[in-house]
Amino acid sequence: MLKPHLTRDAAEQYILGALAPEKAASLEAHTLECEPCARLLQEEALLSEQLEEVASAFPREAPVLRPARWDTRRVAVGAALATAASLALVLLSGGQRSTSPDAIATPTPPSLAGLEVEAGEPRTIVVACPDLATQASCTQSAEERGLLVQYPWGTGEVPRYEARTGLPEGALSARRPVSL
Amino acid sequence: MSAAVQGLRMTTLRLSKEADEPAEATAPGGDEALLSRRALAGDRAAWDVLVARHHRRVVVSLLARGVRVDRAQELAQETWARLIQQQQRGLLTELRLPNLALTQAAFLAADDARRARRESITGAVDELPERHHPVDPSVSAERRLLSEEQLSRAHAALAQVSPSARNVFLLACDGQELPHAEVASRVGLSVQRVRQILCEVRKKLRTALEEEPHA
Repeated sequence: MLKPHLTRDAAEQYILGALAPEKAASLEAHTLECEPCARLLQEEALLSEQLEEVASAFPREAPVLRPARWDTRRVAVGAALATAASLALVLLSGGQRSTSPDAIATPTPPSLAGLEVEAGEPRTIVVACPDLATQASCTQSAEERGLLVQYPWGTGEVPRYEARTGLPEGALSARRPVSL
Repeated sequence: MSAAVQGLRMTTLRLSKEADEPAEATAPGGDEALLSRRALAGDRAAWDVLVARHHRRVVVSLLARGVRVDRAQELAQETWARLIQQQQRGLLTELRLPNLALTQAAFLAADDARRARRESITGAVDELPERHHPVDPSVSAERRLLSEEQLSRAHAALAQVSPSARNVFLLACDGQELPHAEVASRVGLSVQRVRQILCEVRKKLRTALEEEPHA
């Protein structure tokens, strides 16, 4: 007895690999006997191949790297606190040791903390990936730019590219063939 | 030769296991380069993972060329056997999957069609390959290429779907051959939902591709 014909949905599920093994085997067996169903399966397979082409040619948007503002704010608050603390230290030490001769030379200038923070900023640009869906591409883009990524579970430094070729040292610059 | 055949049997066994547990045997797509290097070095386990990951795509590409489903399975197996043999003979310098496997499979399919045609010349009309193949593979090879207009229509349709659905589609179809379980874990959805989204996007894109071109 000829089994029921394929529906487009069933063919689609087969192509996507979503059918249970026994259903897939039954579908395959049917397409060997029924030419219209074989043609339907071929159409779905063809569509699948075309969609691969569509996906590979689709222009990818550059991932949006947005600064992790709350983290920046925290850095700013930290810098302000450090400045205030150093100012307090200067005033305190100035008040207590006003008669000491070396009191003028030892305190750190209040602006130094601010300078340090400013100098440190370019090295610690923190970006946050918008959501889980684009996290992989976002992280990759951040990695290429050498940025820090704010992961949902904390800040992590993106590993830098280390240019390991797997070749022995000096193999690339050698003038003669190098035995591997 | 025997080692290659033995390797293929191992791969076949792994494939049947993979059909039951699709999420387990496939690692995230990021390790593709590492797996390829290991496979080039002759690591059997790496070959098994790569074959499990790309086998379906090879079969689908053969089906799209009009090869019967049983023959498509055989040719896909032969494709992997050839690649493993080439690696064992040191003929493979790099392994870019799935493209290399797709090319090998296309070559085998064309060879198969040529042989069938040659044999049918002396046979009866009923045994002509056209009786068995819904479409001549050499013809469908040209049909596979999308026109610029079709491509732009499909891109316009894809741009209209929701960003999350588009992302699911691009993750599943961008050639990395990520299993649906991996796509689901990346986007934080269930496998069932991912498949549902893929079916919805396929329907929209099918409609876009089948639209009559404007005069």
